[in-house]
Amino acid sequence: MKMKRVSALLMCAVMTASLAACGGGEKGTADGAADGGGNGEKLSVMIWDNYQEPGLKEIIGDFTEETGIEAEVQVVQWNEYWTLLEAGAQGGEMPDVFWMHSNESQRYMSNEILLDLTDKAADSELVDMSKYPEEIKELYTYDGKVYGIPKDIDTIALWYNKTMFDEAGIAYPDETWTWDTLVENAKKLTKDDGSQYGIAIRNDTNQEAYYNMVYDMGGEIISEDRKTSGYDNPDTIKGMQYIEKLIQDGSMPSMETMSENGPDVLLKSGKIAMSFHGSWMVSTFKQEDYLKENCDCAVLPMGKESQRRVSIYNGLGWAAAANGDNTENAWKLIEYLGSEKAQQKQAELGVTMSAWEGTSDTWAACAPEFNLKVYLDMREDMVVRPYSRSTVTWENRASEIFKDVFIGNMSMEDACKQIAKEMNETLAEE
Amino acid sequence: MEAKKKIVTAVIHLACILVSITMLIPFLWMVLTAFKSVPESTQVDPFIIFPTVWRTEAFSVVMENMNFLLLYKNTLLLIFFRVLCAVLTATLAGYAFARLNFKGKNFMFSMVLFQMMIPSQIFIIPQYIMVSKIGALNSIFGLVFPGLVTAFGTFLLKQAYMTLPKDLEEAARLDGCNIPQTFLFIMAPLARSSMVALGIFTAVFAFKDLMWPMIVNTEKDMLTLSSALAKMQGQYTTNFPQLMAASLIACLPMIVIYVIFQKQFIEGIATSGGKL
Amino acid sequence: MAKPKKKVTSQERNEFIWGWIFIIPTMLGLIILNIIPIFQTIYQSFFKTGDFGRGNIFVGLENYQKMFGDSQVWQALLNTVKYALMEVPVSIIISLVLAVLLNRKMKGRSVYRTIMFLPMVAAPAAVAMVWRWLFNSDFGLLNHVLGTKINWISSPDIAIYSIAVIGIWSIIGYNMVLFLSGLQEIPGDYYEAASIDGATGFKQFWHITCPLLSPTIFFVLITRIIGALQVFDLIFMVMDRANPALIKTQSLVYLFYEYSFRQKNQGYGSAIVVLLLILIMLVTVFQMVGQKKWVHYN
Repeated sequence: MKMKRVSALLMCAVMTASLAACGGGEKGTADGAADGGGNGEKLSVMIWDNYQEPGLKEIIGDFTEETGIEAEVQVVQWNEYWTLLEAGAQGGEMPDVFWMHSNESQRYMSNEILLDLTDKAADSELVDMSKYPEEIKELYTYDGKVYGIPKDIDTIALWYNKTMFDEAGIAYPDETWTWDTLVENAKKLTKDDGSQYGIAIRNDTNQEAYYNMVYDMGGEIISEDRKTSGYDNPDTIKGMQYIEKLIQDGSMPSMETMSENGPDVLLKSGKIAMSFHGSWMVSTFKQEDYLKENCDCAVLPMGKESQRRVSIYNGLGWAAAANGDNTENAWKLIEYLGSEKAQQKQAELGVTMSAWEGTSDTWAACAPEFNLKVYLDMREDMVVRPYSRSTVTWENRASEIFKDVFIGNMSMEDACKQIAKEMNETLAEE
Repeated sequence: MEAKKKIVTAVIHLACILVSITMLIPFLWMVLTAFKSVPESTQVDPFIIFPTVWRTEAFSVVMENMNFLLLYKNTLLLIFFRVLCAVLTATLAGYAFARLNFKGKNFMFSMVLFQMMIPSQIFIIPQYIMVSKIGALNSIFGLVFPGLVTAFGTFLLKQAYMTLPKDLEEAARLDGCNIPQTFLFIMAPLARSSMVALGIFTAVFAFKDLMWPMIVNTEKDMLTLSSALAKMQGQYTTNFPQLMAASLIACLPMIVIYVIFQKQFIEGIATSGGKL
Repeated sequence: MAKPKKKVTSQERNEFIWGWIFIIPTMLGLIILNIIPIFQTIYQSFFKTGDFGRGNIFVGLENYQKMFGDSQVWQALLNTVKYALMEVPVSIIISLVLAVLLNRKMKGRSVYRTIMFLPMVAAPAAVAMVWRWLFNSDFGLLNHVLGTKINWISSPDIAIYSIAVIGIWSIIGYNMVLFLSGLQEIPGDYYEAASIDGATGFKQFWHITCPLLSPTIFFVLITRIIGALQVFDLIFMVMDRANPALIKTQSLVYLFYEYSFRQKNQGYGSAIVVLLLILIMLVTVFQMVGQKKWVHYN
């Protein structure tokens, strides 16, 4: 009998210990929440790019100084970022202020997950909606309501290896280049022994490479009303055939190589002479000694007949959660981040080019080794990154189908027609 | 006989050494890379295996940028509570499933197996919503949450209890022990090495758990080692030496934990003769 | 507590009460954390899911119909099974041998044990990166040492094997620890008796170790087959999306992730999970029934 009691006591002790243990954890929560923003004092700001963290922190520091509202920047990697927002939108907690991307914005806006900023933006003294690029604004507007304030813009430029150009005796790329010049020179810059290739473009290098070619040829990826695919447009196919030409010429490394080592890695390891990179890559490129010594950037080539030199561009938006318990302060922060002053500083610190008209010029000075001015020049003729509600689905499908062209199993024309067919099906379901 | 024994031992050592080398090559590269400069780490031509100069920059930068003390603390708390919860609940349930007969047992055990059959990714969103509803985002509890109970551990300990001889239990019962006594004083101690194994696995899986900590704890002060490492990895490109340096610093405590637990196994050998 | 009159019934009642008390913490947790979400997933597979779980439209078996006609799904099923067929047996055999060897008294035993366990404690991000480099066709160590130019992880014919190699490398420590702990629970006097009878080496291993270790082997087999059929992290971190070999390596869970998380088609993703669930269930039930033939419990 005695033993029974002892054991019962022991059991109880074990149980309480385990409960206390878990409870102890929970207590940690309460403490954490007190200074963590759960009670609505400190704002949580969520982003996915580490490279922008230091600069944004500084800007948000200024905001705290002016308003006394504290905010903490949290970086979550791209994949988890969207999982987190998805879970938050399905009934969980969302960060107070966060980035929106054109791939996802339509879903979030149409379901009223995001805070409606229309009136706030109209009444604001800091934010002037007329100062942002029209199409970036449109990315974050739905049914006439504003759900996001433009944060930045990005454009594309051509990067090249000066050393290789010198060695081959070819003049550096400049504004006289057409896509034909590019294809021609890529072939010249390719060495037979496989130690050097002219250029690297992957099957999924869309925004940075082939979308630009398509629009230069007068083609389109998606119709203006975003209801039909543009891949079966003869001009689109014409643009895409430049890629096919590069493949057939052998001017690019094998698809296997490019999938293991992206164009950026190949460029900085001296394997290729040219590649295309968006302005968001500059923050990492400026830390690479090899690139600083050997490489530089130039404007994109243009279409020979159209004389157009399009850069696909995109821009993120600052958004807030509609169900946040701190929407007043969240708006104040977004308002500040969208203001001319903050946008100016964002460019100055070299974080990114800014969305506010005329604030980006200082950004070009953030890495004097490179001729970053070309990114600014590329703003003259911009087309917004093609999007619809199901961008991810049809973009993935297109990259998948292009694999066959890269391997040589399919002609570019057939591939484009196949993509158009599937993409139209996807768009019809939206 | 002696000579034969020596040969056998030599062969065993040879085999172990060969496997060890295979196991170690990736780690050697991690160590070597950690001491390289960034261009060296991605250099192709000429092929570099050893760093030209052994630099400790990567380590010092990483130590400066990451608050390892805090990361260790969070990770160890996560591990501690997960191990505690897992071992406690699984020891109890495993015993009941292995040795007690009661109505509903088979159905309940099939639930346990059922849970193991589902890829854990489907739980992320529902569990995130639960944690945020109880207001436990950015807390140790939030980190521990999916590991409060363990189907894997329950199954593991059930198997362990099933190997134990039945006569021990009957003897205890004849001596007047009731069920909790038999469990606590006779059976549970005998399953110790499986508990240790469960402890090790729970610790390792908690340490390696990536997607969950990244989503549930986003505040800088509440990150774990693995989520901080993943954050370092960046979206577009990677600083290999720093990443490797950080990984090495990060897995040190796990190695220490394992070495400590490992002693349990060796002690187990010493006592196993007296087990019966 | 009052002394019960009939011994048998009291024992039964006690076992019932204590049985439930012992399993209740675990079951409660499992039901809330896992079982409910599982049924939600199964339920979802009959819907065309709307954004953020709102406005789901019941479509009956449409997702399943689409799935059965989807060659990608069948390829992924094949990849998954292929991977499991390579990873599970190879890793179990290697680690069983290692565990038996390292269970003897010998010099350097704990050093070996620690080394074999190392892959388990390495951060997944670092592991993926290291192997990507080892296998890299242009800059990798393997091609450099062998003097070849094989696309280890980007050739559709080879990639799945390379992935399996990484899988085996990372899981040997897991199997070994389980086998070691199982070996500890085998009473030493069995071996003493056996050596008196003159049984040594392989005979001991075959007639004593294997049968007595069979519950552990069974456990490793069940958990590893399930684990291998759920392979995801490895493929996710090693295979780039532009990789031409992806289609020949992506697993069912990878495909589920692609649809549910990336393309937000949760209904279709759920149907893929149900397919996987059925596959795992079949294999597990088969093993559960089969265990009576070879697993020895006391």
